[in-house]
Amino acid sequence: MPGYSEFYFNVDHGYLEGLVRGFKAGILTSADYVNLAQCETLEDLKLHLQTTDYGNFLANETGPLTISTIDDKLKAKLLTEFHYFRNHAFEPLATFLNFITYSYMIDNVILLITGTLHQRPIAELVPKCHPLGSFEQMEAVSIASNPTELFNAILVDTPLAAFFQDCLSENDLDEMNIEIMRNKLYKSYLEAFYKFCEKQGSTTAEIMRPILEFEADRRAFIITINSFGTELSKDDREKLYPTCGKLYPEGLHLLANADDYEQVKCVADYYAEYKAVFEGVGSGTGEKTLEDAFFEHEVKLNVLAFNNQFHFGVFYAYVKLKEQECRNIVWIAECISQRHRTKINNYIPIF
Amino acid sequence: HEPILDPSLHQHLDRKINFVAGVIHPWRVSAFERLLWRACRGYLVASFVEMPEPMEDPATGETITWVIFLISYWGEQIGQKIRKISDCFHCQVYPYPESEASREETMNGLHSQIQDLSLVLEETEQYLAQVLDKVAVALPTWRVQVQKMKAIYLVLNQCSFDVTQKCLIAEVWCPVRDLTQVQDALRQGSYKSGSSVECFVQRIPTSESPPTLIRTNKFTAGFQSIVDAYGVASYQEVNPAPYAIITFPFIFAIMFGDVGHGLLMFLFALWMVVYENSPSLRQASNEIWQTFFEGRYLILLMGAFSIYTGFIYNECFSKATVIFPSAWSVATMANHSSWSSAYLATHPTLTLDPNVTGVFRGPYPFGIDPIWSLATNHLNFLNSFKMKMSVVLGIVHMGFGVLLGVFNHVHFQQRHRLVLEFLPEMVFLLALFGYLVFLIFYKWITFSAADSLVAPSILIHFIDMFLFTSNAGNLPLYRGQVAVQTVLVVLALASVPVLLLGTPLYLCCRRRQVATEEQEPLLEGQEAGNSVNTTKEDVESGGHSPDAEHLDFAEIFMHQAIHTIEYCLGCVSNTASYLRLWALSLAHAQLSEVLWTMVMRNGFVGLSYVGGVVLVPVFAAFAVLTVAILLVMEGLSAFLHALRLHWVEFQNKFYVGAGYKLCPFAFAVDTGE
Repeated sequence: MPGYSEFYFNVDHGYLEGLVRGFKAGILTSADYVNLAQCETLEDLKLHLQTTDYGNFLANETGPLTISTIDDKLKAKLLTEFHYFRNHAFEPLATFLNFITYSYMIDNVILLITGTLHQRPIAELVPKCHPLGSFEQMEAVSIASNPTELFNAILVDTPLAAFFQDCLSENDLDEMNIEIMRNKLYKSYLEAFYKFCEKQGSTTAEIMRPILEFEADRRAFIITINSFGTELSKDDREKLYPTCGKLYPEGLHLLANADDYEQVKCVADYYAEYKAVFEGVGSGTGEKTLEDAFFEHEVKLNVLAFNNQFHFGVFYAYVKLKEQECRNIVWIAECISQRHRTKINNYIPIF
Repeated sequence: HEPILDPSLHQHLDRKINFVAGVIHPWRVSAFERLLWRACRGYLVASFVEMPEPMEDPATGETITWVIFLISYWGEQIGQKIRKISDCFHCQVYPYPESEASREETMNGLHSQIQDLSLVLEETEQYLAQVLDKVAVALPTWRVQVQKMKAIYLVLNQCSFDVTQKCLIAEVWCPVRDLTQVQDALRQGSYKSGSSVECFVQRIPTSESPPTLIRTNKFTAGFQSIVDAYGVASYQEVNPAPYAIITFPFIFAIMFGDVGHGLLMFLFALWMVVYENSPSLRQASNEIWQTFFEGRYLILLMGAFSIYTGFIYNECFSKATVIFPSAWSVATMANHSSWSSAYLATHPTLTLDPNVTGVFRGPYPFGIDPIWSLATNHLNFLNSFKMKMSVVLGIVHMGFGVLLGVFNHVHFQQRHRLVLEFLPEMVFLLALFGYLVFLIFYKWITFSAADSLVAPSILIHFIDMFLFTSNAGNLPLYRGQVAVQTVLVVLALASVPVLLLGTPLYLCCRRRQVATEEQEPLLEGQEAGNSVNTTKEDVESGGHSPDAEHLDFAEIFMHQAIHTIEYCLGCVSNTASYLRLWALSLAHAQLSEVLWTMVMRNGFVGLSYVGGVVLVPVFAAFAVLTVAILLVMEGLSAFLHALRLHWVEFQNKFYVGAGYKLCPFAFAVDTGE
């Protein structure tokens, strides 16, 4: 029933929504970031983090503190929270949460394949995978040598099977093909996610639509910019763009024909919010990069998701915001440990 | 495990069968199998068998029924894939020897290893069990020993070291009477421990005030404890406890007086006293029971005295008993008034006139006449009696308290207080309230039923005495009453300034005398005590400067003023306070009467067999309510009020109670109660 989700949402999902809003209240604020930025050492950082919702998450760490341990522990905390949500979720929230994990799964698969290609042992690669996207057969991807084999042997049992339709080919996996495979997988995934949210209807669709559209358009911009100077043809490039964004179909067509950064910017000027995003970008060392601008816009959209109740968007927004927080803390920690404090305030504040 | 292919064909095809054996978590079996099939289909055969019994997972510690798998494959590449897949699923892979013989050997070796290990574990467990058994037997003794040692060390910590650092010095309070015992004990201790140096005890002078030790036996301990609960007696002060042994149960009994209830209370206490040595009674952990048990002698006396006052009030479960024949004769009254049946039918209450000869034949030999329990104006008679009785008892009790103060004054060498405090206090009390007691008794003796219409009111006389007025309608009790009363009031008022200023002025004069006579400084030898633990600066030095003397006078005067006001106002308010004796005995009587008429009497209504059966639950209710309300609640209430009368009204006439108890060192385990 469109627009009447408040009548029946709480029956199955009320507890988890309450929980996620509670967690959201513990997301670090600008004041916290100011405190963190003033720390001199990583131990100070740990001390400051103890007063936040993170508490004593680093308490059992023996030995000197490193950035990677901090990163791992931050991710571990998000992982426990997410697993709790997933274990207590009913349909359709369970499927929604699964969709969130698929993007990480895709990243993990690509990482493992790339690593195998460079003859790295599997044990070295597994810790680098994102914990949210781990699945049982993940480590077995190293036995595959081409995408068909990968699909037929391993991925067919995983949820990623549905996204694999376009990628089946007999070509051996090499650098270029792996990237193409990644983007194709991601395009299928995003379109499937978009369709799923639309099917949910009412508030969920309303909230998730702008977020997923932005994601799709952002991928389109990034693919375009990254493909300048590579062997990727324009047709191939167009095949990689996700079609669920605002740029479909004219913007994508224009992007496919773009040859340099300026043309991309022109395309973005046709769309009001993307124009605003590209405005703030500069290419100098002291100025914001395009990625940062995109992250900022994403954070804005995710924060807006919390203004509405009785929809699944809060879970997606929470995961993405926690990720951003993770990136912020790691950025600050890096600046502190390298004693290069000029850019320490380049984090993106959330609340 | 048989080879899959025919051996001859096996050689011909030049393929060797290899095996991978391992253990996998049961939840992952289906995914594992599926992946194996998809990845290496046609090149392997996998078989899965569940383990017969669950084993512990070394990583998580849970017991899981593992699944054993054996994969037979051929081809090197396949082997690598299989190994990678089994790594992916975190299986534990074990080496699987090629030939049958080596497999047998490995199995036998593992079996014998398992046997050895289980044997070792069994032995260790048995040994541990034995050790623990031995310890369990000895543990209580060890615990007691450790507690005793700890207590001893705590006390030793309070001692101080000698100059030579070789021996400990302890400063203790010790009763003079027990000094020889202490010396004997020390000698024995030194002998038993076999030390070369003997311990000895030596008296040293001190200026600190000593603790109070009052030796009690099991009977007097209860009474001493209720006095100590208010305040431990100051050193060598007069102890009110011996008197409380009798006054406290008696005052309780006045408020509780009922033969039946008193008898129940007495029997309960008797049971506790007779079985006081049984360990189950002594070591009960219930605190409330402990309180009752420790007061068993109190309750015994309280019950006994209540039986006595019950006979005086003539109440046994609210019923009067006719031990002696009643002094009132209804027959004489009936004959005199010639009451006809018609008259009796229309008049539910009839009056017995004592002025008619033969109706009232004199006072009842002991207690209240049983006929009063039938009278509707029962309370009018009883209230007058109980009120006067309370006032009399109160004044006697308080007078006794003031008298006990004499012992204090004499013992502490303060004879001036005999004249300057005791005398004015006694005069004030007796002149006003002693005279009231006299009036009460005089009226009881000289006035009778014959002149009841013109009998004077003591209350109005008493008020007139204070206001120096007279009431025409109130006849005097005796000739010259007004003159006597005036003298008494003047005496009482005169004693107040004596009480107020006597002692301070006397002390002031004496100090001025002392100051002018002696001006020499204190000698060294007059130091207040060569205690090891205090230095010269800690000890107060004697001698006062002139302004300190002024300060002292103000303090003494203030103190005396407070005492005077407290005493004079207290006389009035405390006398009124004793009226609670009346109030509580009235409440008790009324409660037991209500219980009888509302509960028990209803059981006697039906006179048939059914009535007999109904009587049982009715009696049960009566019994439960009697115990709960009348014995427990009223008993506690009367106990509390009697205690208050002792603590406040009685003891503030003479008792200071600012001391502290002597707490000798004792092992808590030994005291047992």
